Amino acid sequence: MATVAPGVTTGPYHAVLDHIHPEPTSFIRKYIFSIDAKVIGIQYMITGAIFFAISGFMAELIRTQLLSPDGAIVSPATYNSIYSMHGSSMVWFVVIPLLTGAFGNFVMPMQIGARDVAFPWLNLVAFWIFPVAGVILFSSFLIGAPDAGWTEYPPISLQGPPGTNLWCIAVFLIGISSTMTGINFLVTIFKMRAPGMTFTRMPLFVWAQFATAPLSFIATTALGAALAALFIERVFGVPFYDPKRGGSPVLWQHMFWFYSHPAVYIMIIPGFGIISEVLPTFARKPIFGYKMIAFSSVAIALLSFSVWAHHMFTSGMAPWLQLPFMIITMVIAIPTGIKIFSWMATLWGGAINWKTPALYATGFLITFTYGGLTGFFLAAIPADYHEHGTYFVVAHFHYVLYGGSIMSLFAGLYYWWPKMTGRMYNEKLGQLQFWLTFIGFNATFTPMHWLGLMGMPRRVATYDPQFKFWNQFATYSSYVMAAGAILFIYILIDSLRRGKKAGPNPWGARTLEWMVSSPAPYYNFKKIPAVLAAPYDFGNPLPYLGLEAAPGATEATPTHSSHPVPTH
Amino acid sequence: MREDQLAQRIVKPKTNLGPGFWPVTALIAVVSAVMVYFVYASPMPIGLVQAGDPAPTVDELFRFLGAVAAIIFNLVTIYTIYFGIVFARPKNAPPNTIGVQIHDAPVLEFWWTAIPTILVIVLAIYSTKIWADLQNTQGDVLTVEAIGYQFGFQFRYPKLANPVVNELHLPLNTPTTIHITSRDVIHGFWIPELRNKADMVPGLITTIRVTPTRAGTYRIICTEFCGEAHSRMVAKAVIESQQDFAKWFAKQGGAAAAGGGGAIALGAGKADAGQTLFGQKCSACHSVGPYDQKQVGPGLGKIFNDPAHPKLVNGSEPTPQNVAAILKNGYQGDMGVMPSAQVNQISNTDIANLVAYLASLSKK
Repeated sequence: MATVAPGVTTGPYHAVLDHIHPEPTSFIRKYIFSIDAKVIGIQYMITGAIFFAISGFMAELIRTQLLSPDGAIVSPATYNSIYSMHGSSMVWFVVIPLLTGAFGNFVMPMQIGARDVAFPWLNLVAFWIFPVAGVILFSSFLIGAPDAGWTEYPPISLQGPPGTNLWCIAVFLIGISSTMTGINFLVTIFKMRAPGMTFTRMPLFVWAQFATAPLSFIATTALGAALAALFIERVFGVPFYDPKRGGSPVLWQHMFWFYSHPAVYIMIIPGFGIISEVLPTFARKPIFGYKMIAFSSVAIALLSFSVWAHHMFTSGMAPWLQLPFMIITMVIAIPTGIKIFSWMATLWGGAINWKTPALYATGFLITFTYGGLTGFFLAAIPADYHEHGTYFVVAHFHYVLYGGSIMSLFAGLYYWWPKMTGRMYNEKLGQLQFWLTFIGFNATFTPMHWLGLMGMPRRVATYDPQFKFWNQFATYSSYVMAAGAILFIYILIDSLRRGKKAGPNPWGARTLEWMVSSPAPYYNFKKIPAVLAAPYDFGNPLPYLGLEAAPGATEATPTHSSHPVPTH
Repeated sequence: MREDQLAQRIVKPKTNLGPGFWPVTALIAVVSAVMVYFVYASPMPIGLVQAGDPAPTVDELFRFLGAVAAIIFNLVTIYTIYFGIVFARPKNAPPNTIGVQIHDAPVLEFWWTAIPTILVIVLAIYSTKIWADLQNTQGDVLTVEAIGYQFGFQFRYPKLANPVVNELHLPLNTPTTIHITSRDVIHGFWIPELRNKADMVPGLITTIRVTPTRAGTYRIICTEFCGEAHSRMVAKAVIESQQDFAKWFAKQGGAAAAGGGGAIALGAGKADAGQTLFGQKCSACHSVGPYDQKQVGPGLGKIFNDPAHPKLVNGSEPTPQNVAAILKNGYQGDMGVMPSAQVNQISNTDIANLVAYLASLSKK
């Protein structure tokens, strides 16, 4: 124990790790079975990106099929498998692993001033389950892929093709991986923060991971039980869900949504964290309402456990039981609204540096707000009676999942890319890529709201000809999004081959990961720094003691903005 | 910013929020007012006709939600874009330029927590009120059962012996309760023009209440994925005057009472014509193999002399008259559903031809 600054003492934990383990030299230990959280984070990133490409291709197949009311390219059976796999893969193998596994591993330990996560070997196991589960999931195409949607409601999933069994196994495995990561992150954040980094000095991305981690291991348990029961019923015939033999199909829905609604927040709270890092950095301002943003993440995480049945208003629940779920769902809008207003206030009075991450974060503000507002339409029970099971729902959750989670993923990837690779990307192409994605996305999914309200159900391989125009419009718009995705791959390859050297802190950010060289050194910090304040005060000197200056790092003296606004 | 400039700005607090803040706020107010006006002025706020209760009630909720959502969306979007433009770092500013170093504004934060909270309370109360309106029964006049199956709907009326397949008739201005269930997997029951829906869950009966007010033919749509032909699972809802409904009802009842359908000239049936028709109308569900070669229904190749199954599905003797009766009236029971001649759109002559064809198969 030593006092390094007034009120800041190092714990025994920091002393023990004050020496550095030798960096592995063999290729396998360094890049394949690495226990370095940064390498594991990038492994998650690459694997998730591959699954994203596959699922995105399936999304384009879905849209192309719907060019014609009678189905343009594949049979209904194939179509059903494609959209089911698209949903399953996007949720469990793209968004969740990328937001927690990839960014959580790469960014979070550095941001709290740790050298690694609490359980590096557990981390390695958690990662390697992920590609294995992915291969199991996609190999179900060989024996007949599941066809009942990512929700796999029984009894139809009991009749589903043999691949549905593989689907159960794959999702069960990814649930184990997610549980491991959740526990690992929670312990890391509790036990391994740098001296002086109190909870109210943690970067908001860390707060977001802190709020998400318990969801990962509490909610996933319910999904695991439900999946095991579905698998046992399909393979051994024990009737959990088949009503003809005494089971209850609604039981699955409760178990599934008890997981899958908190999972919605597993998929968005880390995104909130990314936005809360990107906006202050590019607006050159402290995040507005730090505590409100931090605590609202926790409030959302807690509330998320008591709203699941809003997915089930039409499935025959007792009517009076629907009301509390409606009300709690609406209450979630309050902490979410606080976040959105705080981000807007962060932009206000800034000296905004309009780089691609800032564009994505701002795009997120608009599209996520839109998705949140349509969520209100779905929460209000009588309106939900009309919208349930229609394209309105498809539009809504793509607005929160693509307009929310994926937009924040893009923001985070452009933001931390220099830290991962040590190289900058092409800014002009990055901004073009944003506009392709933003415009393509809105043009694809906005019409789906009308389609749903006018009577187009979801999960259909063919549709009534009256909906032809807007479906074709959505399909052509989705090709613009696809062009954006292809351009994105080009931008990354181009950056790796020709990108300018980034230096340790290209954005002038103030959290700890930017205080080390890019790419970050093995074990992150030679000496664990002491933390004196929250990181976002752009007008003050950096609040860290004992940092070894990264080569090339300079601390600029801030110049105040010339905007006609008062300073405090 | 120099000290004297700062002092000037503080003297004139209206410009504190940034250049053009109040004009932009006015723009938001105008745009929102126009949108709210259109939401409330439109007779069909979601662009779909109202064919009966509860559509007008639910549409009132849509109006309210739409108005609130439009205002919030305009506030967030227009302010965000405006901040993005006026607070962009000027081109010639040095890269270390920073913004206004503020951390919070407790009064502002109080209001942007309090106002949404009040809004949520209002919305929750309003939604609950409309929800409660939907629960009111108001003395049902007609009760119908809707049963989903892969891939169709079947409707049963009181005092009607046989179910009607894929065609729901509802009389105008008659409070109707629809009890909904399924025979196999979960389906959905949705008539968009009535704004009401329930899942058809096997082993569970769900209930919706509607009062049709606008005559016409509407679509009944399955909204829960139910298998390969899910997207084709659509039925007709015919809303008609009470007289028309009574006529239709009598016709359905009449057909049931007629039993065997005496007008069918079985002797005149032609087996070759029956074979063609079988391929068009029957082979989707029935094979021409033995009884156990089931598709949706049993194989019909030995329907007239099958020692293993000496009776027809409805328990009657395998005579040509009884087979014709099933073709005419359909069947509904343990074995599943066979649509009636009216639904299958086959004439009495067709029935005679089919019976002749089936008889020729059984002789082989």
